[in-house]
Amino acid sequence: MTIGARLRRREDHRLVRGAGCYVGDLRVAGCLDAVFVRSDLAHGDLRQVDLEAARATPGVVAAWSSADLPFLPDTPPMMDPESVRGRPWPPLATDRVRYVGQPVAVVVGDDRYVAEDGRDAARVRIDALPVLLDPAEAADSPVRLFAGAGNVASEKTFGEPIDEAVWQQATVVVEATYRQQLLAHTYLETRAILVRPEPGGGLTVWVSHQAPHRLRRDLAGGFGLREENVRVIVPDVGGAFGGKSETWPEYLAVVAAARRLNRPVRWLEDRAEALTGPPHGRGQNQRVRLAADADGRMLAYELHIDADVGGYPHTGAFVPMATSMMATGAYTIPQVSVRSRAVVTNTAPTSPYRGAGRPEAASAIERTVDLLAHRLGLDPAEVRRRNFIGPDAFPYDTPTGFTYDSGDYAAALDVALREVDYSGWRSEQARRRREGGVPLGIGLCTYVERSGAGEEFGAVEACPDGTFVALSGCCSTGQGHETSFPQVVADVLGIEPERVRLVERDTAVVPSGIGSFASRSMQTGGAALHRAAGKLIEAARQRMAETCAVPVGEVTYDAGVLAAAGRSMTLAELAGTGQLRADNTFAPPEGFPFGAYAAVVEVEPELGEVTVLRLVAVDDYGVVVNPLIVDGQGYGSTVQGLGQALYEDVRYDPDGRPLTRSLLDYLIPTLSEVPALRFAETRTPNPNTPLGAKGAGEAGCIGAPPAIVNAVADALALDARDALQMPLTPYTCWSAAR
Amino acid sequence: MKPAPFEYVAARSADDVVAALADGRTEVLAGGQSLVLEMNYRTRRPARLVDINRVPGFDTVEAIGDTVRIGPLVRHQAFESGAVPGQLGALLHRVVRHIAHPPIRTRGTMLGSLAYAHPAAEWPAVITALGAELDLVGAGGRRTVAAGDFFLAPFRTARRPDELLAEVRLPVLPAGTVIGFAEHRRTHASFAQLAVIAAVTLADGRVSSASIGLVNAADRPVRARAAEAALLGRPLDDPAVAAAARAAAEQDADPGPQPYTDLAYQRHTVAVLTRRALDQARTEG
Repeated sequence: MTIGARLRRREDHRLVRGAGCYVGDLRVAGCLDAVFVRSDLAHGDLRQVDLEAARATPGVVAAWSSADLPFLPDTPPMMDPESVRGRPWPPLATDRVRYVGQPVAVVVGDDRYVAEDGRDAARVRIDALPVLLDPAEAADSPVRLFAGAGNVASEKTFGEPIDEAVWQQATVVVEATYRQQLLAHTYLETRAILVRPEPGGGLTVWVSHQAPHRLRRDLAGGFGLREENVRVIVPDVGGAFGGKSETWPEYLAVVAAARRLNRPVRWLEDRAEALTGPPHGRGQNQRVRLAADADGRMLAYELHIDADVGGYPHTGAFVPMATSMMATGAYTIPQVSVRSRAVVTNTAPTSPYRGAGRPEAASAIERTVDLLAHRLGLDPAEVRRRNFIGPDAFPYDTPTGFTYDSGDYAAALDVALREVDYSGWRSEQARRRREGGVPLGIGLCTYVERSGAGEEFGAVEACPDGTFVALSGCCSTGQGHETSFPQVVADVLGIEPERVRLVERDTAVVPSGIGSFASRSMQTGGAALHRAAGKLIEAARQRMAETCAVPVGEVTYDAGVLAAAGRSMTLAELAGTGQLRADNTFAPPEGFPFGAYAAVVEVEPELGEVTVLRLVAVDDYGVVVNPLIVDGQGYGSTVQGLGQALYEDVRYDPDGRPLTRSLLDYLIPTLSEVPALRFAETRTPNPNTPLGAKGAGEAGCIGAPPAIVNAVADALALDARDALQMPLTPYTCWSAAR
Repeated sequence: MKPAPFEYVAARSADDVVAALADGRTEVLAGGQSLVLEMNYRTRRPARLVDINRVPGFDTVEAIGDTVRIGPLVRHQAFESGAVPGQLGALLHRVVRHIAHPPIRTRGTMLGSLAYAHPAAEWPAVITALGAELDLVGAGGRRTVAAGDFFLAPFRTARRPDELLAEVRLPVLPAGTVIGFAEHRRTHASFAQLAVIAAVTLADGRVSSASIGLVNAADRPVRARAAEAALLGRPLDDPAVAAAARAAAEQDADPGPQPYTDLAYQRHTVAVLTRRALDQARTEG
């Protein structure tokens, strides 16, 4: 059994020694560097782009605005085309700019230095228009970002309207407003693309990406090419977190430049570009109402979301919908009403960011449950227990339209309470409140999330030399597929995982694929390989049966060896008689991982500094193929969650100019900020796939922030919590406590 | 994030540096930890850099009498490894560990930080509190400026474009001096939101002199004279410390708008940090 083995990551041999190969490491003969002339105004009418001096700059090969590239396709919508209708996003601005940083022209030079010199020589005239930054304000503003289309790009409702009498008659109603601040993806490797035109009009594209086949389709469609003439290769990727699924404006401009010049051209985003976006993540104003009876049993929950999706509604427009559909979390709530609006504003466009709508949903409900417990004077763990969807209620249809597959939420909470020593900390808290001491709080979060979506391709081929090739349509951006996917295949075949080699991230080799996002790789792609390996055994038994002229039922298979009629052959030997390969595409339904987080914090009373003393994460991902890798993703996502809770915040001045332009301004947690983390699990297999895995990797971003915020609110014993908005800076906590 | 074109000259002597600076469009490259970052963002575009890393003698720390002279190439790290003896060295050691993180401290220099004059930098407030002197050398010769007159505004100093900040002279702390340093920041490696430096000399159980410096509490480093006055002639006890903290917050600090704070919180923080720095001085010496 190799499923469940804590195998070390094969890819780390090269990655941690600096021997990885990222787009920026590629040496392609004659490659030029592209940079972008970008708008320095958040909203305005583009009057003039003068590139004469840019073109005259030594080393600059070309400089083009949209007028020079009339065949440049618009940035393709990835989903929800309705929100994009009437709001086109030209890769180079045509007549209007809608965020600071929007590309206005592309400058191509012999290297990045001279290209930036050319960029600085460009003269752009923009007449400023009024700037909208807050989504609620933008929704009602007479200022329109797009003529002929409203600022609300999409509005959706879920559940049913709640009668006003429900609120009036309930024993207790708690209300709150929360802000999910804008975050930067902060991947180690920023976005990057290198495009080489090939003889005959084709393209080879190396790109730091999560979905190479989709990019191929978009580029082929946008430039009138046949898909088979576009080869997309994803080399090593230094993190993606939802920001690299898209076909970004810069990519289209680089393709256009490479084709026009008939030379390789690359764009390596720099840190200043990456921090000012796009993409940004999160960005929601939330308003909640929760009604309950005197025992804390929930009666009705209302959630209103205004999401700022930036200057162009792109993949970010789908995020508030994801939040809406996860609104009720782990609880049975008789009446639910959710309204979400995706609103265009003059900030950089948003995209999914690790968690992609689920952190926002969990934060809203979990903070509100704690507020309810506080109002009723009940233990927040007990209030959760009274409202959990029971373990025998699955499959469970939520009021917002999902079907939860399986779960035991109380079990996860119990593990978290035990691992954190909940009763011990409650005693310590009581002692400090009695005798004095630094305010101490304990915060909980019991989350449910959604993982996987759609189909994925997987194939397994036996080779005559005794090795195996696994092909996947997924696309590792650091998750360790080279190690974990062979474990799945080896487990089914009963062989050593070292004999299986993974091939992915190249559209010329992998015939189709969706990619890696939404925690889908193992749940969907792993399940597809699991099935492919099973089909390979069946194909081998069939061939063995034919070879031995026996019914297939008489062929046995064990650990790579087939036996029938007194003969035995290995898969390798059988592969020597002709290609032995099984392909399949598998589309299991969405999975619903869940878990419980517990945080213990101290809030220094003089200056409001938060110290996280303990952070326990209990996650249920179903069957875990490689616990070492999953733990690693747990650390990463939990620390990213800590970042949202305490440090990270994309900020703009009132004119829409980004204030967080470097990592000196945009603070992320470093090793010095990482608290004592403890991981535990429960295991409820995914009932909808033979593999049984659910998505892993985003949970920490979902579970950690509300647990930490609830702990701070608990430490300060806050009756009203609207002042406690993330990031919980010392000043925020100090102000909230007054 | 690539710098605009610039010329580069490597100086071999102080005269080389001064000669290079004479054109008024050349900047000094020492550790490069702030200058190069700004060049990469193109917020600074020096036409030429004069690199002082190969100038013999620029990296010396020298104690002469009751003064410690620090050259233009003394890295922050030197103050972690005991380059300055005595209680002054102990104060610098306590402060330096709050400057960025180790890789930056092995490159960046104290004089570079002084010349850069970042409002949240610790060294400017240290030398202001201690009443240090700075020597500037240009084509017109050498002149001395008191630390209190050197810093004019964020990123602005009395140094003229054609001058090298050649030396800073810090007074050795007299016998009986106790020291303290307290800083408030959001993460381990981020800039100080506020910080307070204290060096208090006691004679016969009473404060005979005090030097208190505030980091990022005004548009330039502050010597907290009102707080110092609140201590003079008194024992360093709770009431005196409280009075100094109040004076620092209400009279010495002159905070302006900053992210993640308001003026009341900044003044409150000055009071808390002043008290903590003085408490540290009287308990840890």
